[in-house]
Amino acid sequence: MLLALLLCYVGFTALCLSMPRHHDELLGRKPSSRRVRNLKLAGWLLLCLSLWAAVAAKDWGFGLVDWFAVSMFSALLLVLLMPYRPKLALSLAALSLLAAPVAAWAWW
Amino acid sequence: MKEGFRQAMAWLHTWTGLVFGWLLFAIFLTGTLAYFKDEINHWMQPEIPSRPLDAAASLTLAQTYLQQRAPDAPSWQITLPDARDPGISVSWQQAPARPGERGRFTEKILDAQTGAEVPVRKSFGGEFFYRFHFQLQMPYPWGRWLATSAAMVMFIALITGIITHKKIFKDFFTFRPRKGQRSWLDGHNAVGVLVLPFHLMITYSSLVIFMAMVMPASLLVSYGSDRSAFYDEVFPEAPTPERAGIPATLPAMAPLLARASEQLGGGNVARVTVINPGDANASVQVARASSDRITYEYGNDVTFNGVSGQILDATPAKPLPMAIAGSFYGLHIGHFAGPVLRWLYFICGLAGTAMIGTGLVIWLGKRQLKHAKTGVMPFELRLVEVLNIASMAGLIGAVAAFFWANRLLPLSLDGRANWEVNTFFIAWTLSLVHALLRPGRKAWVEQLTLAALLFTTVPLLNALTTAHHLGVTLAQKDWALAGFDLTCLAAGLLLAWAAWKMQRAAHTVRVEKTRRETTRPITLEQGTR
Repeated sequence: MLLALLLCYVGFTALCLSMPRHHDELLGRKPSSRRVRNLKLAGWLLLCLSLWAAVAAKDWGFGLVDWFAVSMFSALLLVLLMPYRPKLALSLAALSLLAAPVAAWAWW
Repeated sequence: MKEGFRQAMAWLHTWTGLVFGWLLFAIFLTGTLAYFKDEINHWMQPEIPSRPLDAAASLTLAQTYLQQRAPDAPSWQITLPDARDPGISVSWQQAPARPGERGRFTEKILDAQTGAEVPVRKSFGGEFFYRFHFQLQMPYPWGRWLATSAAMVMFIALITGIITHKKIFKDFFTFRPRKGQRSWLDGHNAVGVLVLPFHLMITYSSLVIFMAMVMPASLLVSYGSDRSAFYDEVFPEAPTPERAGIPATLPAMAPLLARASEQLGGGNVARVTVINPGDANASVQVARASSDRITYEYGNDVTFNGVSGQILDATPAKPLPMAIAGSFYGLHIGHFAGPVLRWLYFICGLAGTAMIGTGLVIWLGKRQLKHAKTGVMPFELRLVEVLNIASMAGLIGAVAAFFWANRLLPLSLDGRANWEVNTFFIAWTLSLVHALLRPGRKAWVEQLTLAALLFTTVPLLNALTTAHHLGVTLAQKDWALAGFDLTCLAAGLLLAWAAWKMQRAAHTVRVEKTRRETTRPITLEQGTR
């Protein structure tokens, strides 16, 4: 569940950054169209990966429930953090990205 | 045409949301609390000690107790302890004194390690929130009908809300605080959209749970007025062997646990029912714990002949439609959730509660703006304001009062459990009176402050009235008790923050009001394009 949570959070952050308005708010400039495409791709890929992580950790039933729970939670966390602590929201994403391979390794 | 449709949906969303909003807020909040029903029970009956789990040993203790205390009872019920509910619960019904009467029902809680009776305080505990959540403290079946109607309206409000919301994906990550009405709408959309899967699941499943009550047409056509025939067919019960009238000692039941678990596909056992203990035809029904699987199944059990140990009956696998209905039931109640998932359920429930609350605030806020200049509110808006305050801040305060009553009411008080519930409703009623007497903004701040005070001091109250304070529970790693105290503390701090924000907002509104006359007017839809 931890791995799925980390991947979900990074995935949603990437998708959020792929929107020019939020990219501007968080990083202070508009993204290039290439960057938008890459961020979108990375975001969706990470979300798919997190779904796989959730299902592989248990089975389809429990995995799907877990995935929905962590995806809703991570999106809510990101959206509530952004206006109040934008730096923290981004650092959490970076930290999650770093921690995800460790979590995956610990789980195998 | 399209805009007309959307406007019609917006109208429906606005008015269904308002009329049922207050009730739905209470249903959602108490339902959210019910996810921690067992933990709340544990806190409200702290006399029951947490012990390492051992199902077989617990069953042996329960059997020994019942053989001494109720050897002649026609039936025994034993609920084994689990990770969330630490005590062994044993209950039995005495044979009626005269035929046709109901025998006296007795329930006792036993220490899971020693088997000794635990003297517990009388309290409904979390069961109260759970029951209120769908029965609304009304006589059967009115509360269920009202709660289910509210669920139906909630479903309508959700769907019309999705249709009304123009930019679900564009505004997916948008939340702009400190912008007045705009922020409330952002917040309403954010908790609505981000937690939408939960909202849809919880609302739809609540209708599935009561489908036989709400949509009985197909049942009536197939079974007529003979409802029980339907239930007999859907949930077949093994015929209970008749009493043989030959006394026989019931052998130890503990070995049956492993056999039942094997029959139930490796599941945990939650409940053991013994019919005619002490008779040669005694039967033992071993039921599976509902925390094993997502699908909630009523009566998934194995029945043994108590004396010979022979398997009499096992619940067959359910057909697919029933498994689907059971899945919705299971998803709704979340018995299968471990600690982490349970917290996520709780957070989703709070998000749902917040969605309803913000909706109610927006309804009033939009209409209040028109009367901001004159400062006089028409009667209907004042009514909504009073109901908003009492149904939200008042209810939260009443929950705190319920916990306080649990610790402060004398243990020997007659009808103690009922007095806890009475305290809840008295506190709620007082909040309504208070909201009527005080101006809106002040009533909000005062009630939120009171609730914050009551919640933050729960750990202190607990330390003063019981021996299970945070120092002890944290050291013993009793996470249910420690978690309860800490959650109350966190809730109190959150409420204090809300009260503080409300107070400050009142301030800025006043400042803005004077400034607005000289500068350009601030419109509500400022942030939108």
